[in-house]
Amino acid sequence: MTAVATAPAVRTETRSRAHEIWRIVRLHTVNPSIFFGVPWLILGAAWAVMMIIGLIITGAGGPRDEMNEGMRYSWAVLSPQWYLVVVGVQAIGLTFSFALGFGATRRDFWLGTSLMFGLVSLMNAVAIATLVQIEKATDGWGVGIAMFDSLWYGQEGWLVDFYTTLALQLLVLFIGASITTVYLRWRMRGTMSVLFGSIALILAFVAVATFTESWAAVIAWFGGIGLVGVFTVVLGLAAVCAVGGYLVIRRATPR
Amino acid sequence: MTGTVVRASGLTKRYGNFTAVDGVDFTLEQDRIYGLLGRNGAGKTTVMQLLTGQLFPNAGTLEVFGREPAEHADVLRRMCFIAESQRYPEDFTSAHVFTAAPWFFEHWDAAFAERLVADFRLPTKRRIKKLSRGQLSAVGVIVGLASRAPLTFFDEPYLGLDAVARHIFYDRLLEDYAEHPRTIVLSTHLIDEVANLLEHVILIDRGRIMLDRDADEVRGSATTVAGPRAAVESFVADRAVIGREGLGGLASVTIDGRLDQRDRLQAAELGLELAPVSLQQLIVHMTGTDLGADTAEEVAA
Repeated sequence: MTAVATAPAVRTETRSRAHEIWRIVRLHTVNPSIFFGVPWLILGAAWAVMMIIGLIITGAGGPRDEMNEGMRYSWAVLSPQWYLVVVGVQAIGLTFSFALGFGATRRDFWLGTSLMFGLVSLMNAVAIATLVQIEKATDGWGVGIAMFDSLWYGQEGWLVDFYTTLALQLLVLFIGASITTVYLRWRMRGTMSVLFGSIALILAFVAVATFTESWAAVIAWFGGIGLVGVFTVVLGLAAVCAVGGYLVIRRATPR
Repeated sequence: MTGTVVRASGLTKRYGNFTAVDGVDFTLEQDRIYGLLGRNGAGKTTVMQLLTGQLFPNAGTLEVFGREPAEHADVLRRMCFIAESQRYPEDFTSAHVFTAAPWFFEHWDAAFAERLVADFRLPTKRRIKKLSRGQLSAVGVIVGLASRAPLTFFDEPYLGLDAVARHIFYDRLLEDYAEHPRTIVLSTHLIDEVANLLEHVILIDRGRIMLDRDADEVRGSATTVAGPRAAVESFVADRAVIGREGLGGLASVTIDGRLDQRDRLQAAELGLELAPVSLQQLIVHMTGTDLGADTAEEVAA
């Protein structure tokens, strides 16, 4: 949250472009529980549950190493992501029509919202990557649990953890936001078209890969590009959503 | 600088087969209070959404502060529009709204807003979705008044407000308008409540403008003539009749246009009673007449 408190270099009195975009960021943070409070509450609660489970297992004399290995497959570290999809949806579905009433342009609203998404993703990425390191350094918070040092985390260093979280976070926020712009512009018909279109595209890919018996090649390709490569694809998808959302929202109308 | 703030010509907005605003022409002059009147679903909110760039017109031209409003920050900055069905960000309280307002309205008066909050007894810490209809209207009224935007819209500001709150709105609006003149557009279907506030009346029905006139002119413009049927009919024979009621041999006809001294004498000679028509009655006459035909059509269909 410190990034938000210190960043306003733009003065409120000046009516520059930067001001018009920055006020959208401020609008998203007037009620800090949406972007910061609730996600960290979810993560904190997940951590508390993991700690208690860890204490129960070790207290009962369970094998510490096996517990740690088992916990690597828990998705607790990703628990706030589902909520953040909803945050992305609400940022457009609710805050957008409010901002229009307050005289913001669609362009500035999307740019400001994107900036907000960027800042939030940056902060979360720094925090998660750092928490992974702390967990490793403290031997699972002294209990031996693996909440942050799980899934793909904690294997290739802070920078990779940071990069992968950043990419995932951006995708999660922009996917909710950009689909909502489609809804605002073309309503249900447009949303359904995009949804079924995406499903059809995935099915077509699956069909082609299956009939040409190239699954091995696909898996090999993903293996070849590695963890960073996969998350670069994720980042690319986030960028597509961000640019698509900008193009769509320019003619969107509030409900 | 005085002049024309809004200039619309042939402005049209369609939703599929439904034409919400049907080729309307009108202008709004600077520093006047306009009433955008009409029945529910007449197209009032759509007009305001077009003027504030929230909707894109299907046809016609629209200039607000000299240019098309949509996506022009320099135009939008000068407007304030809190829709009657305004959506607010998730978990917003009105305190959040008033905190954010000065970033968007350069003339925002926080002290004035605070005074209005006290006047309306608005619970600023309560979530907006938990507010009553009247409190929700109060949020829109407070933002509209305290924003002091050069072009301010009030969309059904009276909805759910109690008598005291309506009176406060009326007083504060006139006080503040006297000190800080600006163009105000008030949409409502509760016409009698606002009749005295308005300087100019635009009456809209089914997306068309039925009346676009100075309020003072409108107030004296129609008269109801009552008396024996034959006498009434002869009196109104060559006049514009906008409403007709009858009971047995008695008739009561509402006519458009001013009556001069000679007309009044003639009416007196015929034994007719003349009564002024209130803004609300006039509007009922002008927009209500088709109601019967409409329901008849529906029944036939």
